Amino acid sequence: MKEFFYRIFVGRREKYWWMNLLVPLVSIFLALIVGAIFIKSTGRSPILAYKLLFNASGLIPGPFWRSSFAELLLSSSMFIATGLSFAIAAKGGLFSIGAEGQFIVGAVAAAYFGYAKPFTGLSAIVHIPLILIMVMFLGGLWGLIAGYLKAKRGIHEVIVTIMLNWIAFQLIEGWLVPTGGPMSAKVETGVSGTPYISPTAKLPIILYNTRLNISILIMIVVVFLIWYLLYRTTFGYEIRAMGFTSIFNMEAPKVSGVNTSKRIMQIMFISGAVAALGGSFIVLGILFQYPPVFEGGYGFDGIVVALIGQNEPFGIFLSGILVGALRTGSTAVQIARIPKTFPQIIEGLIVAFIALQVLVRYLLFKLVKAKKRVKEVKSEGGIS
Amino acid sequence: MQLLNQSIAQMLDFAAPILLASLGGVISENAGVVNIALEGIMRFAAFFGVWGSAVSKNSWVGLLWGIGIGILVGAFHAYITVKWAGDQIVSGIAINVMSLGIITYFLELIFRTTGYSPSVQYFGSATNRINLSFLSKIPVLGAFSRLTIFVWFSLVFTWGLHFLLYHTVLGLRIRSVGENPIAAETLGVNVFKIKWFSVIIGAIFAAIGGVALSLGTMASFNNTGVAGGKGFIALAAMIFGKWTPFGAMWASFLFASAQVLQFILQATATGIAAQIPVGFYLALPYILTIGALIGVVGKAIGPAADGVPYKKES
Repeated sequence: MKEFFYRIFVGRREKYWWMNLLVPLVSIFLALIVGAIFIKSTGRSPILAYKLLFNASGLIPGPFWRSSFAELLLSSSMFIATGLSFAIAAKGGLFSIGAEGQFIVGAVAAAYFGYAKPFTGLSAIVHIPLILIMVMFLGGLWGLIAGYLKAKRGIHEVIVTIMLNWIAFQLIEGWLVPTGGPMSAKVETGVSGTPYISPTAKLPIILYNTRLNISILIMIVVVFLIWYLLYRTTFGYEIRAMGFTSIFNMEAPKVSGVNTSKRIMQIMFISGAVAALGGSFIVLGILFQYPPVFEGGYGFDGIVVALIGQNEPFGIFLSGILVGALRTGSTAVQIARIPKTFPQIIEGLIVAFIALQVLVRYLLFKLVKAKKRVKEVKSEGGIS
Repeated sequence: MQLLNQSIAQMLDFAAPILLASLGGVISENAGVVNIALEGIMRFAAFFGVWGSAVSKNSWVGLLWGIGIGILVGAFHAYITVKWAGDQIVSGIAINVMSLGIITYFLELIFRTTGYSPSVQYFGSATNRINLSFLSKIPVLGAFSRLTIFVWFSLVFTWGLHFLLYHTVLGLRIRSVGENPIAAETLGVNVFKIKWFSVIIGAIFAAIGGVALSLGTMASFNNTGVAGGKGFIALAAMIFGKWTPFGAMWASFLFASAQVLQFILQATATGIAAQIPVGFYLALPYILTIGALIGVVGKAIGPAADGVPYKKES
């Protein structure tokens, strides 16, 4: 399996730069239309479904806007984290499916440093940064395993990241967290998960009377940092060069003196660290413990977020908000007798249209050219 | 001896869906089309298999429905990636994500549930198994005495695909398209036709693997458990097996053996071994796979033009 990503941004032309923005928007629009046809064909009301979905999504001001808006940003911050994690690896020509495992490693690390004795005495100003640093370090190490094996042994990162996801999952949910495990809370009966984190570890709330915390602000900073790293540093230049030439075994960067194996390890470390950061948000801001049964999927959804955002940091920020909105509104569509996994159909369709972007671009260009011709004809008519 | 036979049979049962799906990956990627949608195709086929079986009360009809949806999804993938030179990973992820949404939707629409479908006619029932009772007393071979049809499918298809790829003209063309499509085109091979063919056949393999998950040893569709990452394991098995049918087979067997070993170790553990938490046993197959990759298998090199969309010069 050779690398494939260079497609996404090769072929970028300065003249039609707005195409890169338009294609995702058109894809979203087309996906919503196809989704509506799908609902209609099963005998249910698409108008009602979309009304419920978007009213509850937090995107549109309404009666309960405040809390749904908070929920939207809360979940978006996690999708943006896993999306960025995938995109960094993709920019460097690596196909990492490891965000899922790195996410739960981050979550369990956040829980540990949140409740463990020596740290609970600290004040929040010291405690939270300490947790985040430890989480990113451990998540980075988990990602580094795949990077090391890829760089030093040539083992395909897809296999290793898939296996590491399962290893993380089994070790955490089969050893660390369940009753009797080293991290389980000591309770008399039932399943408990880990102990709850100390109040000093909880992320500060930034919107009164909601659960919205600083996680979204952290992600804004991280998005900017990653963009800066990719487009304003030598390091970023080198990893983008690796990504562009990955189908040719990264020969050009190698020849010009890039230490590709070192870069691969660094990329995977950063990728793991960012995904783990997302995992810490769910523990420090929403659940306040690592629960006995963890509702995962953020890692795989991150791939979707990255693809809709065209692997660009700012694009991922926007697509993360979109996916967060769809997920926030998803429970409401059940009123229209539609399962709450419906947003995944929409997300899948968006990604499908993004994959079809050659066709979408072709049609858009045709549209633009047709408009131009009409204008030309009109202006000619005016002169004569 | 009984235990050995049982364990081998269990291993084959476990390996069959993974092997079938990874064979789908092998043929598709040998023609240069990455198929990360294995997971999604398995899920579609597993559900449609149960649906077909529920409608007709016949598991063979279920299998046909599964294959049918597999062809449709494969055609969707081929339309995007071959016809419009779309990004193959993006298309595959789209199929995987849609499979999660659409199947839950159908599960609710048809069976009024979002968890398990009702039980249907399946291939694991006593009458539907392939009975070779004369083997049952022989060590090792005894494992083959009462297997489901899917195990036989997986073994026969492995051999068949090997024959197709390495001993026929069509196979040579498929591989040439995956290695160097421009050269193949120059020699008069219709690259697009070959790619369409390989993607669809690959999707059929993956679909049969998917039906094996729901109609093989189970008799119903489990919304959270199917395909439950088996498609990705199949992807890993394909890479592990260096994009060859027999390589994929040994990789699937290795992984399945590690799973069975894990069951046996867990069940027979005494003394200190019994103190080891379950998680370590459950993680064992995945750790062994990475270990095998580090120790035995060297660098995995796939078909040269794998994943590169092909566009005709105009």
